[in-house]
Amino acid sequence: MKDNFLNNPIRFLSLGKFTVSVNFLLVAVFMLSACQKDPEKVVSATAAAVVEVPRLANGKPDFSGIWEATSAADYDLEPHSNRKDAPPGAGIIEGKFIPYLPEALEQRKKNFEQRASLDPAQKGYTLGVPRGIYYPEPFQIFQREKDLILVHQFGHSVRTIHTNNTDHPKDPYDWWLGDSRAKWEGDTLVVDVKHFNGKTWLDRSGNYHSDTLHVIEQWTYLDKNTIEYKATLEDPKVYSRPWSLSVLLHRHREKDFQLIEDYRFTLEYDEHYPPKPPVQQ
Amino acid sequence: MKKNLVGWMPRVAAMVAAILASSLVVQNIYAQGGGIQIERSFPAIESGEWTGARLPDGQPDVQGHWSNTIANHNNFTDPQGGIPNDPNPRPADGGPRDARAPSRVSDPADGQVPLQPWALEKVKEFQVGFHNPTKPEYIEPLARCAPAGVPKSLYWHGYEISQYPGYVLFQFNSGTRIIHLDGKPHLPDNIKLWNGDSRGHWEGNTLVVDVANHNGKALFGRSGEFISENGKIQERYIFNSDKSRYNYVATITDPTVYTRPFTITIPARRYTEKDTPNGWHFEVEPATHAGSELILEHYERICAENNGGFGITAAQK
Repeated sequence: MKDNFLNNPIRFLSLGKFTVSVNFLLVAVFMLSACQKDPEKVVSATAAAVVEVPRLANGKPDFSGIWEATSAADYDLEPHSNRKDAPPGAGIIEGKFIPYLPEALEQRKKNFEQRASLDPAQKGYTLGVPRGIYYPEPFQIFQREKDLILVHQFGHSVRTIHTNNTDHPKDPYDWWLGDSRAKWEGDTLVVDVKHFNGKTWLDRSGNYHSDTLHVIEQWTYLDKNTIEYKATLEDPKVYSRPWSLSVLLHRHREKDFQLIEDYRFTLEYDEHYPPKPPVQQ
Repeated sequence: MKKNLVGWMPRVAAMVAAILASSLVVQNIYAQGGGIQIERSFPAIESGEWTGARLPDGQPDVQGHWSNTIANHNNFTDPQGGIPNDPNPRPADGGPRDARAPSRVSDPADGQVPLQPWALEKVKEFQVGFHNPTKPEYIEPLARCAPAGVPKSLYWHGYEISQYPGYVLFQFNSGTRIIHLDGKPHLPDNIKLWNGDSRGHWEGNTLVVDVANHNGKALFGRSGEFISENGKIQERYIFNSDKSRYNYVATITDPTVYTRPFTITIPARRYTEKDTPNGWHFEVEPATHAGSELILEHYERICAENNGGFGITAAQK
């Protein structure tokens, strides 16, 4: 198991210089000034105020683990009543609705009408960004100082988020998952994602984007088992202005939980393999 | 401007066309150490102590880009012998058998997969049908962008190994394997997967992996050998301590398909910033950044037909 020093208060305190964040210091100073009359309270109150999260050796939050949203966002990002193929949902969009350009709104309506056959996920295609994050299957983050590798159970698609001060390629392709370059702003991972193809949807109700999609993600620990995920999407071909969504991601903590590869695009032909032995009489 | 999405198949097709163009070209590629087939023979590596660098969690550090050194998946037991029954064989594939790399089957000594009669019959049928696929089962599943599976992923393009506390991650050109090092039990037996379910641990310089839960669908190559969903694979990835090479030595057991367990050996070498990127073994591009240091990175690997394209012909039959 990972040796997480933040789960050990004694080592945490002894390594204070290494791990104490600016927030921690501010909180500590505030607590000290507020509680001078009762010094014993300072220690416990200060410890409780710190959000203890796993960290890499360089002090940055370590998002390693298996994550999944419990939100019904993938049914429809926008507020909607129940219907045969979806439970009701209040939506996850700031401002409730996606600011489509007029002709794009018409396309979205067509997508909705034909969602059962047109949804790329129905064919097992790679889900894209941000859909892969809130789609109701787990994904695993493998994190090093230089990158985060996200393996999505659905399609076993792999996305790399680079955290090594590199920038987008000068001569890019169009990618299913775009090209992800990230920086740390305090304890928040801010990811700039672009160079998408236009083949993925945002949910199974037909909300969509084009190949000019640009996503800015913010990943922040709320506590050691919960990530607040925010994404701001801009796409001048489809939306009239940038808009944002957010979901909470929960850490899978079930005993022996693991990803189970889900290459479902192979289901339509996999019955033909391997050769079968003669039927025993 | 964005480039058009060029998947790996057009590049492979171009490479194959170039190789077919003239034997002189083939010779030149070999002389330069490029191409897919580099070595006729390779050194043994003994299992033993690891004296190289370690990661903070204690694992031998074997992270980086790797690729096999002898051939692709054209032929499992005569790796440099070309596709069996190929109507248009490559000039380089001829000549005496001992002029080419040995069989990947290192035990038994005859280099052949010890197939039961029914399975041998199926393999021979595939080797004919492959060149004129009149049935869906004659399409090599990798051509439909199915994961290459175990062991084929290890001789299908280069791949990247990265390591984390509790895990070794293989990012292959077609498929991804997560090796769990924490000793959790295998998945329930009725769950069957293209890459199986892998449990590993380190013994000195050797990563030992037990692979169960195979779906048996990936085949071993264009020569059609296969394992069934009852098969087990015990893998040993034996690294040399200067982290330049490893040999994959695996014992494959399956009472449904074989007459006895057999052993396969697949040599691999590492690729670094000192190597020239190429479209087979070392598919990387220089990263954009402010510094002068060369940083090589691989782009997204999502097979085109996974999302439409190559192999559609077969699907439409």
